[in-house]
Amino acid sequence: MIEANHIIKEVTTSEGVLRILDDINLTVIDGEALAIIGPSGSGKSTLLGILAGLDTPSAGVVRVNGEDITAMTEEGRAAMRARYVGFVFQSFHLLPSLTALENVSLPLELRGDSSATEIAHSYLDRVGLTARLSHYPRQLSGGEQQRVALARAFASRPRILFADEPTGNLDTVTGKTINDLLFQLNREEGTTLVLVTHEATLASRCHRRVTLKGGLLVENDTVLSGTAE
Amino acid sequence: MMAWKLLWRSWRGGQLALIFWSLVMAVVVVTAVALLADRVEKALVKESSHLLAADAQVRTSRAIPDNWLQRADDERLETVQMALFASMVYSGDNNHLAAVKAVQSGYPLRGLLTLAERPFVTTPEFFESVNHGPPAGEVWVDSRLLPILKMELGDSLEVGEVTLRVTKVIVEEPDRGGSFSLFGARVLMNWQDLNASGVIQPGSRVDYRLLLAGEDSDLANYLAWLEPQLNSHDRLLSPDEAQAGIADTLIQGRRFLILAGSLGVVLAGIALALASRHYAVGQTAAVALLKSWGLSARRVRSLYWQQTFWLALAGSLLGLAIGWLVHESLVFLVRELLPVNLPQAGWRPWLVGLATGMLCLVGFALPALWHLPSLSPLAVLRQDVPVHPVSAMKRLVIGLLVILLMLLWYSQSVALTLAILAGLVVTSLAVMGPGWLLLNLARRLGSRAGSVWRLALANLWRRRGQTLVLLTGFAGAMAILMTLVMVRTTLMEQWRWQLAEDAPNHFLVNVAPHELDGVERLLADNQLSSVGWYAMVRGRITLIDGQPPSDELVEQNNALRRELNLSWSDQLPEGNRVEEGQWWEGLTNFAERHGENVAPVSIEEDLASEIGVTLGSRLTFSVGGLTFDAVITSIRSLNWDTMTPNFYVLFPKGYLEKYPRIFMTSLYLPPEQKPFVNTLLSQYPTVLVIELDMVIERIRSMVTQVTHGLELMTLLILGCGVLVMLAAVKLSMAERLQESAILRTLGSTARRILTVQSVEFGALGALAGLLAAVGAELALFLLQRRMFEAPFGLHVELWLWGPLTGALVIGALGVLYTRKAVRRPPLQVLGNLDI
Ligand SMILES: Nc1ncnc2c1ncn2[C@@H]1O[C@H](COP(=O)(O)OP(=O)(O)O)[C@@H](O)[C@H]1O
Ligand SMILES: [Mg+2]
Repeated sequence: MIEANHIIKEVTTSEGVLRILDDINLTVIDGEALAIIGPSGSGKSTLLGILAGLDTPSAGVVRVNGEDITAMTEEGRAAMRARYVGFVFQSFHLLPSLTALENVSLPLELRGDSSATEIAHSYLDRVGLTARLSHYPRQLSGGEQQRVALARAFASRPRILFADEPTGNLDTVTGKTINDLLFQLNREEGTTLVLVTHEATLASRCHRRVTLKGGLLVENDTVLSGTAE
Repeated sequence: MMAWKLLWRSWRGGQLALIFWSLVMAVVVVTAVALLADRVEKALVKESSHLLAADAQVRTSRAIPDNWLQRADDERLETVQMALFASMVYSGDNNHLAAVKAVQSGYPLRGLLTLAERPFVTTPEFFESVNHGPPAGEVWVDSRLLPILKMELGDSLEVGEVTLRVTKVIVEEPDRGGSFSLFGARVLMNWQDLNASGVIQPGSRVDYRLLLAGEDSDLANYLAWLEPQLNSHDRLLSPDEAQAGIADTLIQGRRFLILAGSLGVVLAGIALALASRHYAVGQTAAVALLKSWGLSARRVRSLYWQQTFWLALAGSLLGLAIGWLVHESLVFLVRELLPVNLPQAGWRPWLVGLATGMLCLVGFALPALWHLPSLSPLAVLRQDVPVHPVSAMKRLVIGLLVILLMLLWYSQSVALTLAILAGLVVTSLAVMGPGWLLLNLARRLGSRAGSVWRLALANLWRRRGQTLVLLTGFAGAMAILMTLVMVRTTLMEQWRWQLAEDAPNHFLVNVAPHELDGVERLLADNQLSSVGWYAMVRGRITLIDGQPPSDELVEQNNALRRELNLSWSDQLPEGNRVEEGQWWEGLTNFAERHGENVAPVSIEEDLASEIGVTLGSRLTFSVGGLTFDAVITSIRSLNWDTMTPNFYVLFPKGYLEKYPRIFMTSLYLPPEQKPFVNTLLSQYPTVLVIELDMVIERIRSMVTQVTHGLELMTLLILGCGVLVMLAAVKLSMAERLQESAILRTLGSTARRILTVQSVEFGALGALAGLLAAVGAELALFLLQRRMFEAPFGLHVELWLWGPLTGALVIGALGVLYTRKAVRRPPLQVLGNLDI
């Protein structure tokens, strides 16, 4: 469970202080899929970063599973991320010198998982890349790269997955497959999903949508159905 | 281990290649140089022991006191006594004033005596090397004594009251060195025969020598004890002092090697710093990713530090191995030419190599990577998260400090270190200021040129910060290469006479006027030619400023005891320089001021100071019983590097011609014509032949060795220079590609981008080349003055070739990298974590 109370984010620019997020209040319950939507520049990524503990708000409190991560040190937040959090990014962020398999197994290896390779292997099977294990990112299409990124994110079995416009760099058809895969894995793994997007169709597959506009949370609706889609 | 796994994967991906090879290169250069320098140094010490035939030598005009010998024995030193003197030797009706050397049988203590059983042989298979002197009852002599005394090997020779058998001829004495006995052939006899011969009488002029050899510390103890007991007539020679002209060449060669090695490290260090910076830029996103997964800064640091450490260690070890190969292959190439087998290197060069690798890591790689652990994980979400690398200024200072440390350590010479650093700093300054002006100027010129030029030059100006840094890097690397090549050329030129195949290697002295035509004909019959005949008159200095020189002065100076070669010339001979006073044509009213019968005279500077005369001193010469006065009007320095006759005392024409004269010349005698010496001496026994062929051969082989060294080093350094350019271009490409400007231009045709980039890099290279010429010229000015004692002149070729090669090489490199980039779709350039 994530709770955000009175989140304010301000940055100092050459034109003075800029308020990116203005008094955001938000709760994400376990197992829920939440979409954060809004036009470009509305503060979606900033909010995602704060909820995931990558960044700190100028004011306000974020609690993850009851722990106040805004009061933690950077090291504390890192430990929290290691325990609960996974990411999928718009620009994939695969390491170019690693094969698909190594890209997926790296986070597992880093946390000392002795069966890292087997787990990575099985997740790559699940995203349909069994034949591409030893391919390097440059040998894969954009869609395939994002599938590797999905496998990597889920292989660590995070309690909460943050996805920042996961299909933003893909064409519509490819984007659709990635979305299907994302929701399928999300359902199978029972992960809490926080999804940033500006696509209405994608958002509509979540349990709940919040809309950001100029740093303000303007809409906060609930989908009636109990599951995603 | 995680770090090794990561390292291996990065290595496989190719991001580490440039870092790795820069480091390897630094270690290779330093190790090769250090190994070679170490061995050459050891060889030098050995060589100079040979020149003394001992580790140290004491020369005195009294018999060696017993307590000196006793004490040497106490210090566990080996000793050999020697006596050198001139004495008449007889064979049948013939006699000769020989240069006798009586030695105890342990002679030589260091080095070997080369003998032959046939006179005048030149082929080594007839040579025999021994480490002892002749046994009692035998003598070994110079080949030329045989024709002079019309005798053969096996005949007997009378030395004073003993008759000794001539059993062998001497080819080479280790300690004969450069002082050729002009006055007699060598007769080497056993010390035991000395008393019986009765040639040494009270009052005889004898040069006694005590040769010493043993452990360094024992020797040092002994010499410390001995030194206070020496009087002003005694001389102590240690290996350092015995280093003759050969050693100078080697020392210069060694200096060059060290200079080359230092420059190589500087270049490799710059390449390493640039490559590390490039690597760090590429790792920014990877680190953000690791941190988004929850890795702590400490863990990230430990991962990266371990990786760099293992990389540096592997690079250093490989560098040591390649450095050893480089030095070994060099030694192998010239093995045949080496006069002495090079001694094995000690452990120090290996330590120097390894430490270089680690220092490079600390000085050049770590500062560039330092900020990585503290990067914000937010960078996974945002492109514009600020990165705070260690400031360029700090990295520069750290790099310079490490360079300073290493240079000092390698060269152990503050002057050399400062010269190199000054070159670097001056180059940077020479780049920053004028570079800015040049860029501005180029932009203005470009704005009137075609669109490609306008765009390219405007780009350079727009990114002038980065451009100036690049300019400094390129200009620095090029300046170093230029400096090195020019120093090498200068050295080679200085040594050219030593390398010339037909440099004179024999002197013919003491040719009487009536023999001149005959000798000339004999030369012609054998297709030999001399450099021309120099006439001279033999005379001695009897009075200085009207006073006979003091006994002490006479005692100390051969020049006052024996006849000098006086010669005359209207022109200042080649290689001579007037240091004080005027050459003849500069003299006015000389005859009026000093009288008709007084001659002006020019004297060599060392001789002048030894006998204590200055400009204006009046010397009285005695020639064949007649005397005349002369006033010193000039003091000259001589160039001993040319194998043409040099004269200590010179007069203008018209003063000496009336005295009986003798002639001398020098000539080149090819090895196969060596028996000519025999022919000549058997027909003209009074002619003195000074054989320098052995010495020249030895010098030449050493010079050849050193020259090969220079060439190989220059090649290595060139490799380092190329690394720098590669790293710099790669780094700037990475930064350019991430710039929006180039992404926008990706919309235009690839061809146009290529053209603009090639013009950009070409112009950058040309500017760098121009600025490098300035830097190199300044560095050369310092280096040549302080280290190589060579005169300074402008190097016009640099000003031409610098900009040209700069434009071509850097332009080409730029195009190469741009081509890779324009072939890639823009999204990949943006989306991937590493370029
Ligand atoms: N550290 C920062 N400094 C300056 N401007 C920022 C910073 N972080 C975010 N912004 C600005 O805040 C706005 C919201 O950014 P972001 O959260 O990335 O929007 P979105 O993801 O909705 O497109 C943008 O205009 C962005 O430029
Ligand atoms: Mg965004």
